[in-house]
Amino acid sequence: MVATKGLFKSSLAAACATLGVAATPSIATEVDTAALVYAELDRVSAIETVVAVKHDFGAGRLFNFKLVLDSLTGASANGAVPRSDVLQIFTRPSGEGSFTVQPGETPLDDTFKDSRKALSIGYTMPFNRVTKMDFGLYGSGEHDYSSLGGNVSLSRDFDKRNRTLTAALSMSSDSVSPEGGRPIPFESMLPAGLDPLRLDGDGTKTVLDGILSLSQVINRSTVAQVNYSLSLADGYQTDPYKIVSVVDPTSGVPQDQLFEHRPDTRTKHILFALLKHHLAHDVVDLSYRFMTDDWGITSHTADLKYRHEMSGGRYLQPHVRWYRQSASDHFRPWLLDGEALPEFATADYRLGEMDTWTIGIKHGRPIGASRSISVRLEYYLQSPSAPDSAPGQLADVELFPKVKAVFAQVGFTTEF
Amino acid sequence: MTAEIRVEQQGDVWRGTFRAMAGPCEILLDLDDGLLAHHLIERVFQETRRIEKKYSRYLDDSIVQRINNSAGQTVEVDEETSRILQFADSCYHASNNRFDITSGILRKLWTFDTNSTVPSRKQVKSLLPLIGWDKVTWKSPHITLPDGMQLDLGGICKEYAVDQSISVIQAETQAPTLVNFGGDLHASHPRRGNRPWRVGVEKPGAEDRAERMVDLESGALATSGDARKYVMHQGKRLSHILNPRTGWPVTGAPRSVTVAAESCLQAGVLATTAMIHGSQAEQFLEAESERWWVTR
Repeated sequence: MVATKGLFKSSLAAACATLGVAATPSIATEVDTAALVYAELDRVSAIETVVAVKHDFGAGRLFNFKLVLDSLTGASANGAVPRSDVLQIFTRPSGEGSFTVQPGETPLDDTFKDSRKALSIGYTMPFNRVTKMDFGLYGSGEHDYSSLGGNVSLSRDFDKRNRTLTAALSMSSDSVSPEGGRPIPFESMLPAGLDPLRLDGDGTKTVLDGILSLSQVINRSTVAQVNYSLSLADGYQTDPYKIVSVVDPTSGVPQDQLFEHRPDTRTKHILFALLKHHLAHDVVDLSYRFMTDDWGITSHTADLKYRHEMSGGRYLQPHVRWYRQSASDHFRPWLLDGEALPEFATADYRLGEMDTWTIGIKHGRPIGASRSISVRLEYYLQSPSAPDSAPGQLADVELFPKVKAVFAQVGFTTEF
Repeated sequence: MTAEIRVEQQGDVWRGTFRAMAGPCEILLDLDDGLLAHHLIERVFQETRRIEKKYSRYLDDSIVQRINNSAGQTVEVDEETSRILQFADSCYHASNNRFDITSGILRKLWTFDTNSTVPSRKQVKSLLPLIGWDKVTWKSPHITLPDGMQLDLGGICKEYAVDQSISVIQAETQAPTLVNFGGDLHASHPRRGNRPWRVGVEKPGAEDRAERMVDLESGALATSGDARKYVMHQGKRLSHILNPRTGWPVTGAPRSVTVAAESCLQAGVLATTAMIHGSQAEQFLEAESERWWVTR
């Protein structure tokens, strides 16, 4: 094979030919694999396997492929309030069967078991030395949820490649078809065995995202990046498995359990900033993300990683992340009996006010000449805010217990 | 079989290892015939030792020593050496005098060990007149090296030996082969079943992994740079890549450069030359190579 690119390389190829050394067509690809185990104490546990392959066709043309397999099992909070005095029985969201919750316990739906397969492919196509375009396609499926999307982005380097501007657009179309059909918003959950009325057809949602990104090399050891993204979602965004309790205004005892209801549109604005600094050996990675949406949620995320290089290619990387979120305007931990229904309501703790902390450490090391392994351990603590006051028995129960989770990740790259 | 060689079967592959050229050497043969594997690994070992002995600047009877000790007298070289010097001559001119086999003399001053000190400007300056391939009279097969100057083929020999090993094996079998001398490697074909060879390439200071894994179907990879080799000087980190034109470490050199090419020699010269381009390494590679990886 005769090299066509580059003056120096052509003379080099000619010189090698004169010298008579073996020449073989050059075909090389970069590889990466990782497995993640996530266990939320007493709740959901997930095992995730990721296989990622990158192929370089040369001349800046890159193809990448990523396959993710998740399996989730365990219980998840269904949104209902606990009762301090008696057992509570909940119908499963499908309308088939029921489960029992002990006094004082947060109602957790234990039927949460699913597996997710996601596949994405991408292709990078350079137009010239400084401009390139990326295309991607994405598809994922669970037994009750599927998503299909595509994205395109254009980036251009400026100032001797020290500055890169990227504009990207992505669109996805999601479809949810819960077991037993989609519940009618604010309809009461019927006792198990009765055939509840359900909405026709699947719930569909379209999400459109636009991102503008600027990255800038500040000096030899520092790189900064700023992104702005706008995300527009339109369609069914209610969680068909979540309910809201209607409680007696004085005793706080649940009178009824209603399926939740969320708006059909959601607009998010996100600002993200990243600073990466190389010290003599180590690397510091600091980022901040701000999000605000028209559901009334604002959130802040600060993330700090410090990679400490040790001898023999080993490294140790402590990580800390802080996240704070305000509640959605539609967040209602309970509804009061006798009051008019609001337009929307959800008791999903994920839309409530909360702080979370993640602390972790990652260690990587080469094993043998051409293999390496990395191990990541993280502890996650989510502290939802308790309501200022609660009627009757609700004052005696823990409405939103802290969620603790442990992540363990093993990443490995193997040879032959 | 020579005592210094270890041969073992790992899965479908016969693996031979030995030490040469100041580092570990590895040969992987994707074939079943153990006798043939032993024979080929022995042949590679002999060929590597031959090249090392012939071109080492440390061994007294090497041709490089003979030229370096010629005290300005003309030396007639054999055919292989003539081809190697011709190759070095081409690299020197094509790289705009950056790739220079006479620059090794600078190692007298720059050692890049853990406790090494930075030489004075005066010391460096005193060596500069002894550097420059253009000061050498070279007309195959005759070379005249001015007194005091030194040739160092260290930047060529290992890669040359890798490519020669592939040639030695391919003369006897078409079995898929990977030759890896301390990270400079060359694969003849994809493995049986059209599977790639998976190789680790050192990636100092990487964000997530200690190594970069590459699936190599065929062709060569060479890496230049070592994150552990540097000296601190006035609060600045000086890389071990020396600019032959100034005698000082290149400023803004990446921590490592890996290049894929059709031969290990080509990949190695491209990687080294990219390093000498310092902060312009990426621009150089962009223009000259199709597959490369830079770690800063």
